Order: sequence, then C-alpha cells, then structure tokens
Amino acid sequence: MGSADFPRRGSRRFLPGDPRVEEPYRLTPQLAMRVAILAFLALGVFAVLFLRLWALQVLSSQRYLAVANDNRVRTIRIDAPRGPILDRSGKVIVGNVAGTRVELWPADLPKTWPAERKELRALSLVTGVTVKEMLARMQEYKDDPLTPIVVQRGIRRDQVFYLEEHASEFPGVRLAESWLRTYPYQSLAAQVLGYVGRITEPEYKALKKKGYQPTDAIGQAGVESAYDTYLRGHDGSAQLTVDSLGRPKGAAVAVTTPAPGEALKLTLDIKLQRAAEKALSYGIGLARGTQEGRYADGGAIVALDPNTGAVLAMASNPTYKPSLFAGVPDTKKLAPLLNASVAAKDNHPGINRATMAAYPPGSTWKPVTALAAMQEHLLTPYEQLLCSPDLVDHGQTFDNWTPLIDQWMDLKTALAESCDTYFYRVGQKFYNLPSDRGHPLQAWANRFGFGEPTGIDIGSEVDGLVPTPEWRCEHFGGPPCKGYVDRIWKPGYSIQLAIGQGDLTVTPLQMARFYALVANGGKLVTPHLAEDVELSGSKGQPPRVLRRFAGQPPQPTDVDPAALAVVQQGLEEATHASFGTSSGVFGSFPVDIAGKTGSAEKVVTIPGYQPQKLVQSWWCGYGPYGKPSIVVCALIENGGHGGDAAAPAALKVFEEWFKKTAVVTQHASD
Amino acid sequence: MAIETVDTRLRTRRRAESVGVASIRRLDWLLIAGVAALALYGLYAIDGITKHDSGGSALSRQGLYAAVGTVLFVAALFVDPATYRRFHRTIYFGTLGLMGLVLVAGAASHGSTRWIDIGFFAFQPSEFGKVLFVLALAGVLADRSVPVTSARAPLRALMYGVPAIALVFVQPDFGTALVYTAALGGVLLFAGVRWLHLAVLFVVTVVAALLILWILPSAGVNVLKPYQTARLTGFTHPSNDPRGATYNLRQSITAVGAGGLRGRGVLGATQTRLNYLPAHSTDFAFASLAEEHGFFGAAILLLLYLLVVWRALKVVTVANDLFSAIVAGAIAFMFLFQVFVNSAMTMGIAPITGIPLPFVSVGGSSLLTNFLALGVLQAIYIRRGDRRRA
Repeated sequence: MGSADFPRRGSRRFLPGDPRVEEPYRLTPQLAMRVAILAFLALGVFAVLFLRLWALQVLSSQRYLAVANDNRVRTIRIDAPRGPILDRSGKVIVGNVAGTRVELWPADLPKTWPAERKELRALSLVTGVTVKEMLARMQEYKDDPLTPIVVQRGIRRDQVFYLEEHASEFPGVRLAESWLRTYPYQSLAAQVLGYVGRITEPEYKALKKKGYQPTDAIGQAGVESAYDTYLRGHDGSAQLTVDSLGRPKGAAVAVTTPAPGEALKLTLDIKLQRAAEKALSYGIGLARGTQEGRYADGGAIVALDPNTGAVLAMASNPTYKPSLFAGVPDTKKLAPLLNASVAAKDNHPGINRATMAAYPPGSTWKPVTALAAMQEHLLTPYEQLLCSPDLVDHGQTFDNWTPLIDQWMDLKTALAESCDTYFYRVGQKFYNLPSDRGHPLQAWANRFGFGEPTGIDIGSEVDGLVPTPEWRCEHFGGPPCKGYVDRIWKPGYSIQLAIGQGDLTVTPLQMARFYALVANGGKLVTPHLAEDVELSGSKGQPPRVLRRFAGQPPQPTDVDPAALAVVQQGLEEATHASFGTSSGVFGSFPVDIAGKTGSAEKVVTIPGYQPQKLVQSWWCGYGPYGKPSIVVCALIENGGHGGDAAAPAALKVFEEWFKKTAVVTQHASD
Repeated sequence: MAIETVDTRLRTRRRAESVGVASIRRLDWLLIAGVAALALYGLYAIDGITKHDSGGSALSRQGLYAAVGTVLFVAALFVDPATYRRFHRTIYFGTLGLMGLVLVAGAASHGSTRWIDIGFFAFQPSEFGKVLFVLALAGVLADRSVPVTSARAPLRALMYGVPAIALVFVQPDFGTALVYTAALGGVLLFAGVRWLHLAVLFVVTVVAALLILWILPSAGVNVLKPYQTARLTGFTHPSNDPRGATYNLRQSITAVGAGGLRGRGVLGATQTRLNYLPAHSTDFAFASLAEEHGFFGAAILLLLYLLVVWRALKVVTVANDLFSAIVAGAIAFMFLFQVFVNSAMTMGIAPITGIPLPFVSVGGSSLLTNFLALGVLQAIYIRRGDRRRA
C-alpha cells in the first residue's frame, strides 16, 4: 500500500475512501494535550511526594526518631527506700517494708474506649480503686501518656497473684516493687511524724523543678513533709522495651541504681512520747470524772528542753494510725482524716493540737502579765494588792475563781493562789496607762513569742492571737473606730487579757516555749524536732552524721532577772505552798517542779449541743526548779479546772522523765 | 458503522496472527524492566516489612503470587485489546455479578466484606474489577454511535460506572470505590469528553464527598461508618490525642520520619517490628518501607512508579485505536492515583483509606491485578500503529 492510497480526513484530495480500508486511528492533538496534562500531573504528584518525604526523613528525622524511641522505650522507676525516722536514742519510729505498686501506662491501654473501659472495670474490681478515680488521674496527666499513673501503692499478695496470672488481660498495667512506711509504735506521735502519700497535682507543679515525678510518694505532713528532701532518697531507673501492646520485650536494663533516703534522727524521746500520750488519755479520763470537765474530748502535751528548744515529746489527742496511708487505703478508716464532716464528728484526729490549735490560756498567762507589769514599773514584787471575791469596773463585775479569798497579797502569792482579782487590778493599771505608752502588755507578749509562729521545723502552725485595740478596730470592720461600740477597746478587755481570757488565744507550743523562757532565765528558744541526718552505720559501727540541725540559738528577751526570779518563786509556791493551786499534785513529787494551772473559759460548740462556755484545762511548768531539764505544757480540751486534769497529766510526764513517782493527795483548783 | 466493524475484525485476525516470536522485538522493554524491578523490589521490601510479624515473612506467598502474576502478564500479551472491546458488556456484567456475589456470600473480614474464598485463594473481585471496569467503560465510550463531545457520552459512562462504584462502596470499601471513581475519571479524560463536562462531574463529585464526610453526618445521617469518617478527615486536624482517631496517622508519620536518609534497617525499625505501625504490611506498607529503607529506599520505589507511569502514558500515544488509548490512559491514571493516595496518606497529606500500594502491599488479588493491568498495556504497545507500514 502506498501512501497515495491513504485517504485522510481533511485531505485536499477528493478521492473517495476505500471501503475496505479502515480510517486509521491517529493521536489527535486533543488527546496529546491530555496525555501531556497527565504527564505534568504525574510529575507534580511525584514532586509533592518527594518533597514531603524529604521534609519528614531528612529535615525532621531526628525528631521522629526520638518519638519512635519514646514509643518503644519505657523508663521504669526503681523506688528508693525512704529513710527511717529515729528517736533521740536511735530507735526506729518509722521504717520501711517492701510492697507492690500497681501502675497504669495510658499509652499502652487498649485503643478503643469500650475495651479500655472493660479493662479499667476489671482493674477496679481487683484493686478497689474506682474507674472514675483512675480516669481522673489519667486526665491530670493527659499530656504525658508515657508516665504511668499509680493506681495503688501496696496491694495484698492475693491481688498481686491475680494480676500476675491475668497479665494478658491487663495491657498497660504494670506491677512494680515499692516500699511502704511501717510504724512499729502504731499511732505514736502520728501528727508529728505525718504520713506519706501520693503527690497531689499542685504539689507536683510546685516541685517539678526539683525533680519530683507525678508518680512520686511524698511526705504529706509533719516531719515526713518537712524533711522530705532528706528522707526520700533518689529513685533509680531502668529501661524496658515494649511492643505496641505494652508487652515487655526482653529484660529491663538498669540505668541508675536507687539511693536510699537518709535516716532522720529526731529530738523526740520515744519513751517520753509514749508517756505523754498515755498521760493525755489519763488526763482526759480524769477530766470526764469532774463536773466542769465532763465534755473533755482531746488535748495536747508538749515537752521541751528549756535550754535548747528540742522537742522531747509532742502528743495530740485524738490521734490516728499513720499506717492507714500506707498500703491498701481503707476509705472508711481514712474518712476522719480526709472527710471534713466525718473529721468534725471525730474531733479532727489529723490536727496536731500542740501547734495547729489555739486556746485561751487562762491563768497560765498570769506570768506574762506579771513580767510585763514589773518591766513597765506598774507593779513591784512586794506590792500588796487586794484579792477580793470580785471587782467592779465601769459597772461590770469580774469574779475571782473562788469567792473564799479576801485578803491583800503580793505577786508571788497571787501567782501561787492564781488570784484573778489581783491580776484584774494589774489589767486596770495597763488600761490606765497614757496612750503614748502604747500597749506594753501585748508588746511583751509578742516578745515572749505569742501571736506569731514559734518557727518549729515541722511547720503547720497557727499564730494564735494577742488582741490589741488596733486589731479590735480592724477585725470588727476597719476604721473609723470611734463611735462603733464593737471596735472600741474597753477597760474590760485589758482586765480579761491580764488573766489570759477574752480574745487571747495561744497554742500549747507557744505556752511551752514561754515557760521554757521562764525556766532558762529569759531566753526565747525555737522549738525543733530534727536533730541530725545520718547514714545508719553497718554492724557495730556508729552511724555517720551527715548534717546536724543545730536549731536556732535561744534569743535573749532582756527580761529583768529579778522580775523573772519573782515569777519563778511564784510558780514554785504554786506547786508547793499549802495554798498553791497544784500543790496537791506536785507537792510530794521528789523532784522540785514549778508550774502554773490554768482554767480558761471558751465558747465551744460540741456537735449536737448549743454553744456553751466550757473550761479548758491547762498546766505548764518545769523542773527541776533551779536547774530545769524539761518544760511540760499540758492542755485538756474542755477538761475543766487545770488542777483536776492537766496538772495530773503533766505529772505523769515528769514521772517518766525523772523515773520517779509521786503520791497525788488532792486535785485542787483553778 | 458497519464498515468499520468489518474492518476491525479483519485487522484483529491479522494482529492475532502477528503476535508471536517476532513480536518480542516490539515489546516495550523499559516497561518490562520497570515492572520486573517493581515486582522484585516489592518482594524485597515486603520480606523486611513482614519479617517480625506473628505469621512470619510473607515473601514466599507473595513470591508465588508474583509468579502467577507474571504468567498473567504474559497471557495478557496474547489477547488483542479489541477482544475486550467486543466483549465489554460481558466483562461489565460479569464484574458486577462477581461483586454482587461478594455481598451475598463473601467472607466477612474487618467489618467489611471483600473476599470470595475459593479454598486456596481468598479472591477479591473488587481488585480485579479495577482493570475489568476500565476495559468495560472504555468499550462504552469508544462506541462512536454516541458523539463523545455530546453530554450523552459521559452520562452513558456514568450509567455504567456508578452502579459498579456503588457496589464497591457498600461492601464497604471506600478506598477501592475512590480508585474506581478515579478510573472513571481517567476513562472520561482520555475518551475526549469535553472539559466543561469533566469540570461539572468533578464539582459534583467534590460536593458529594463533602456531603458524605461533613454535611450529612452533622445533620445526623451517616453514610460512612464513623471510623471511616474519622480516618478520612483526621489528617486535616491532627490532634495530640495519642489514642484517638489519628493514632494510626501519627504512628505512620513517625515511622516515615524515623527512617531518615538511610533507613533503620529491618531490625532497627521499631515502629514496624513492635507493631506500633498498624496494617504495615498492607495499607501502611509505604511507611514501613520508608522506615526500614529510608529516603533512598522510598525514592527508588517512587522512581520506579514514575517510570511505569511514564511508559503507560507513552502507550497512550502509540495506541492504534481509541479504545486502546482510553484503556492505557485510564490505567496510567488509576495507577498514579493509587500510588499517590497510598504514599501520601502515610505521610499525612492525604486522607487515610484502605488502598494497597501497587506491587508492595501484601495481597494476591492486588498483585495479580497490577500484573494484569500492565500486561494489557504491553499488549496495546505490541499492537501499536506502525506508520512505516502505512
């Protein structure tokens, strides 16, 4: 066939087409164009793919490599045992026991919600932690799926076995060896020691920079919290390779080994502490047997070394067992500590009443008034003031605690007999001072450490309150104060303040600190609990002290030694003179004890009753007189007269400290 | 036109006789080389990808399919494309029938029904259907009794195309339905349908997609299963939720990125080996390959695809009738579409759909179909119009 035979469309030749020859298909320009378009499209597509591939694999490969490694490598923690807490003689008060921790790794949970919910429900059945709680914790750390959530610290052996046997049904759940706190002396010094618990979200946010982890356990109160940095030690870590279902592939490789926490030695004397707690219960029991003290339901005893401020014992009642926070939590038993309304019903066992509760001090305050009055030259020690059954000031009658005394007396006797009217007159002297003298009674009270924290190393203190005219004005609505009855400082307030009543409140620790000042000749000590941090020595070796907490040195207060001597004598007469308010308790004790009773009225609302005035029972004092080695301050809440409850309780502490016993002849007054 | 028909038959006979030993020289050796390289590289890659899977390496099984595929490729050379044209209705209804059968009696898998189990081989009609669909539609459009420039031509194509797409869609196999739609577009494009008509169809498709993905679900009508919608739209708003709908996507991008320039090797590719990358032997094969063999490895694969697409477009230009040109063009377009959507989705620049990566993803039906499609291209090439003879 020649090309001449080949008819074309558009051919200029007008030859008819050969019917036997097909008009051949040819690539039209239109189709060629479309092929070209597709070719360019293809080039464009491949250009996009190459660019994206380059961006991911060359420009950002390090980042994705890190993500891929995070995916597969789980850094697991090896818990460091927490340092033990020792008493002053080295006895272990808080130790450790091995336990098992249940962790949940959110990244390894089933990817669908129904499967995840099923697993969480099953885990909830085993551990007793609700699904809601687990989800809430996961929500807290939702930005960080590679940090495990601690479902529970310390589960029982049967729970461990179940979870181990059914490991395949619990992807993302890991069991880890852990340590739990153990308390050989049960509830002893519970509020002082505090407890260890899961770090809360605000705590974690605050402590993140110091290297704390969201899964950490942390000291939550008292010594455990204040000295957490020493006690916690350093956790070790290991790396574990896991597959996409969180199943471990191969063994964990240790990266760092854990460093156990250091031992913390306290100034606490465990025997004295036990005696103080027993004494407190004993005092509450005594109080309940009296008319005024029938509602007695708690209290505190503080024992200090008057020269250093070292806390020898610090008891608070009611109390609890810190072991409740270790291991399987029992919500019912923990309720008095965590649930506000249950806590109120059980009279707040979690509160350390020695530092966290403030009470009117009553007559134990009289030495403060006496010292301030002598310092301000309002009173000389041998000046005789009338101790009448009552005193009328501006039409208001102020009674003495007993109507049976009506005689002139000096300061020592007034302290020993705890005469209220004597001190009312001193209060009047303070009120009658010209205004340019300021408020010297309150100023001296502040100098003696009232109205401000004592600075004890475990923190958690309330300030108490030393009322001043300025405070009164501020508290009842702010200036202007003139013309508003509530805001004006009236003579009655000075009179009340002189005997430790009215708006004045103090903590038992502040009171003990003041009596330490009386005992040591006028120096204000800073109470402290920690003695040193040490490494427990190996067998036979003495422990190696790493750091000693000297405590703040006692601060001089410039109290006139002569004035102090008068107060000391007054306190000694109070426990030994025939008319002393606690002579019946301390008179026969072989060691010379000096101290003061207090019976302070306070408006109290006991659940189920109308608010009523109840008497707080106090006794504060020290011994041996002349060369004091211990200060004891006892308070029985709603315990009635100081001589009936607090004084006998304090005596028990002295008995343990001096290893001697007394014959209590009579529970006296005030 | 009767005359043309007679003529075609005449030519068909002649060409059928002419395919023989002499035709070997007429083969497109570049295309052959491309296919062979892709098949071998795919086998090499899939061996690494599946080495640590619970079932062990899929190499032997895939190798067997590749061997069968090669036979299919050679067999396709002997079939004159005109035969397909003549029987395009049979092909069409046969395909439709098989897909209907899948719906009735297919084995259920992953919540969707795609397979017919014939004992030794779980057969996936919608995969083979890709090529058959192109052949049937090309036959419809190559019929010049309807002028291709009129609106009736694309409408006729839709009349045939939409039921098949719908059947795949209801399986449900959204990814494959997308490929079918792309094939339909390719057929219309190379048949010479007017740009205006193409544009209208494109807009209609986009609107339909928006309806299905966003508008209807927000009105409470769910055409797709929720997981599908989440996967398809997930790439537009990758969130930080590690366990949410974008989990697969994040793991996939991480796998690709971690691969780096040279790859992490079969043992070092933890995303694949420890199963963080889901469906890494099928839908996410590209990510797995990129993780193990890096930018260089992925680039080799992409260049091989580019080679095949280039040769397929070459085939369009040398086809000696319109039918063949349409078939070649549509196959090229479909191939490009699959490569793009699959690899782009693993890198987060396309929606996640279950489309296999040609010559790499584990799956017999897909592999055989790819061999068949390229065999048809080669058959068209052998029968190219020879100007010298004219």
